[in-house]
Amino acid sequence: MAQIKQQLLRAIALAAALSLHALAQDPGPAVYPEPKATPLISVGEIKPQKIDEVQDLLANTWGNPGQRNGKGKTYPAQGLRSDGEVPDSPWYENRQASRRRSIPELVRGPGTSNAPSLEGPWVVVSAKAEGVMPGFVIRDVRGRRYVLKFDPPAYPELASGADMVGSKFFHALGYYVPEDYIVYFERRRLKADTAPQNHAAPREKDIDAALAFLKRGSNGRYRALASFFLEGKLVGPFRFNGTRPDDPNDTIPHEHRRELRGLFVFCAWLNHSDSKSGNTLDTVVTKDGISFVKHYLIDFGGALGSGSIGKKSARDGYEYLIDPAPSLTQLVALGFYVPKWARVRQSKSPAVGRFEAEAFEPEKWKPFVPNPAFLNRLPDDTRWAARQVAAFTDDEIRAMVEAGQYTDPQAVDWITKTLIARRNKIVSAYLKGAASTR
Amino acid sequence: MPPCVGEEPRPNPVLAAQQSRPPELEVDEAPALERALKASEEFLKVLSQGYNGFRPKIGGMVPTSGLAIGPEFVRRDIAQGQVLLRTSARVSYRRYSLFDAEFALPRLGGDRMFVNLLGTYRNLPQLLYFGQGPHSSQRDRTDYRLEDTSAELTAGARPLKRIRLGGTASYLRVNVGPGTLAQVPSTERAFTPATAPGLDRQGYFSIVGGFLEVDYTDLPGSPRSGGIYSARFRNYVDQRSGLPSFRRLDVDLRQYVSFFSSQRLIALRAYSTLTDASARRPVPFYLQPTLGGPDTLRGFRPFRFYDNNLVFFNAEYRWKFASSFEMAVFGDAGKVFDRRSRLNLHGLKASYGAGLRINAVQNVFMRVDLGCSHEGCQVWLRLNNSY
Repeated sequence: MAQIKQQLLRAIALAAALSLHALAQDPGPAVYPEPKATPLISVGEIKPQKIDEVQDLLANTWGNPGQRNGKGKTYPAQGLRSDGEVPDSPWYENRQASRRRSIPELVRGPGTSNAPSLEGPWVVVSAKAEGVMPGFVIRDVRGRRYVLKFDPPAYPELASGADMVGSKFFHALGYYVPEDYIVYFERRRLKADTAPQNHAAPREKDIDAALAFLKRGSNGRYRALASFFLEGKLVGPFRFNGTRPDDPNDTIPHEHRRELRGLFVFCAWLNHSDSKSGNTLDTVVTKDGISFVKHYLIDFGGALGSGSIGKKSARDGYEYLIDPAPSLTQLVALGFYVPKWARVRQSKSPAVGRFEAEAFEPEKWKPFVPNPAFLNRLPDDTRWAARQVAAFTDDEIRAMVEAGQYTDPQAVDWITKTLIARRNKIVSAYLKGAASTR
Repeated sequence: MPPCVGEEPRPNPVLAAQQSRPPELEVDEAPALERALKASEEFLKVLSQGYNGFRPKIGGMVPTSGLAIGPEFVRRDIAQGQVLLRTSARVSYRRYSLFDAEFALPRLGGDRMFVNLLGTYRNLPQLLYFGQGPHSSQRDRTDYRLEDTSAELTAGARPLKRIRLGGTASYLRVNVGPGTLAQVPSTERAFTPATAPGLDRQGYFSIVGGFLEVDYTDLPGSPRSGGIYSARFRNYVDQRSGLPSFRRLDVDLRQYVSFFSSQRLIALRAYSTLTDASARRPVPFYLQPTLGGPDTLRGFRPFRFYDNNLVFFNAEYRWKFASSFEMAVFGDAGKVFDRRSRLNLHGLKASYGAGLRINAVQNVFMRVDLGCSHEGCQVWLRLNNSY
């Protein structure tokens, strides 16, 4: 008995010592005086930067870029208002959670006034450079440019629907996203660019070759997502760690931005596992005579149940692309260890792909590539994000899903119900005890 | 929690960072590794997608050829995908060569019908031959040159989404000559026309036939469920070589069964080639079905067993253990036999092994199989799925 007492006392003493040590290390949540709004500094020459996807994958899988929380160090989110909210900036704009929008406004998203004109042909300026599915850059008769993206042939409406719905949600959550439009067109709408200076333009036969693999609707028309070109000069993607050296306004390491840490929760909600640097884009825009870099999220064709070139793999959202520990477990278990995500019921609709809420655990969700900002998230960051997610009602979610223009009503039902269930899990995980859903 | 009155506020790192920003900002240059990777990706993109219809073609020859490579010209865009033109020339490092040209109308009648005309020339100078029947010996390994030229017209229909049927008509000319492998004797030195039927004659055959295929798998190239059942009948009529005419039926049954989830599955295959040849009127050895190699019995050398008929079975248990990676353990069993009446399960030769498959774009693009049998172990590196 005396021995047990002694061990108990030792354990208590050890716990107390550890707590004191932790307190000494952790200064607690940082609260700064409200900084005055720092005026944006006009940027000089900014050259487009490219981020190689393979290098990005390897660097984030095997390395730890940026300043990381852990090992006795805690970096709270920076650049916040004194109430902990994220200020409006070229990165983020407070929307649904703080300035509620009507359903038509949510569905309108970043805009609906720049749909490709049907008054003339769409000139194919170039082939789509990024992404795995074929696509074109087109110019309509008004000179506006769009990226035209198609669905995988076996999964009509899958990628275009996910892209459209994703852009509406991420916009409502506060991010800058492109204006997307679902378009239907006949082959004759597309014309090759015959301008002699455009040597890279696909020819008519190249357009035929790209379209030959696509599925047409019963009316003979192709369905695609037309993504309106972003305003300003395109200067490449941003990284989720560090700052952009040629941008004088980019002073907060990205892994410490709450809007990028909290993005984890939004990506988990919408199952946007392809949330990597390659799906971001910086542009230089000019407002009131000041040129500055604006930061966009682009390409949501890998959100919801879509894997862009087909339905998502069952492990998407549950394992990284390179994830040694679970891979080794499944290798040596000869496949007899069946994770829950591999057993859950999925929709049979090809427009939905693989998207479910049953196995979803918000804090265990994973994108393809480890993300420094996501991995730096602290409870303050996830609570902030969960409050944004909780701000969407069931009716609002349904209306935004319907913006994907799915022909199968069961697809709309499935996606809506899944998003509602995932929202509830997020609220439960991060806002315990708070009023959750409406 | 605002700072207490009179308390010195903690320094704000954001403002500090803005103030300490160097006056001259540098462009974010990509590191050398990143630039090299980008360049190699661009190069691979050109390799795979081609330029003006031209691209390199890798593999696609018989086992034992070694790595084959050559140019291919493909146009799938003519008349909005209604016409396909393709031609390729490949040479392997063991000097196997293949030239082919194809003209196809793949989407006739609103995708319900198709016509395909294919011409092929092959020169395969080191094909292995061990003798006739299931009891041939490894020690009798020889090699021969097979040079064949064929032209085949196929016309078919897709009456239902998952069913293809049609007919074929072709002409085949076969020349057999001495092999070029230095380590083994050439076939004509070790065998006679009695033990290698057709060895002394070149073959000229006209072939007509038909086929039926039912495919209800979920993913072409790497199915997780469903089945593919096909039967192909061909009537070989000797034209002027004095070799026996014969009829041949190939039946290929594949079934894919996922259990618990699509991450793991059992893939089964039963294959049989039956001919109406007999011991007195055998099929020329170079047209006989063969057993052994990466697609039949993986624990045996390629072309290990020749005879008029064959049957074999494959069973694989496959499980995905990581994104893009799949393991498999397998067992193969099969035999060759001279008369079709001997189609049964007696005397099957067995092999077993394990393999790793690498997927890209939901298709197996490379597999490494290790197959073992009582004749030893074989390692296969192939750019396709096993079945």
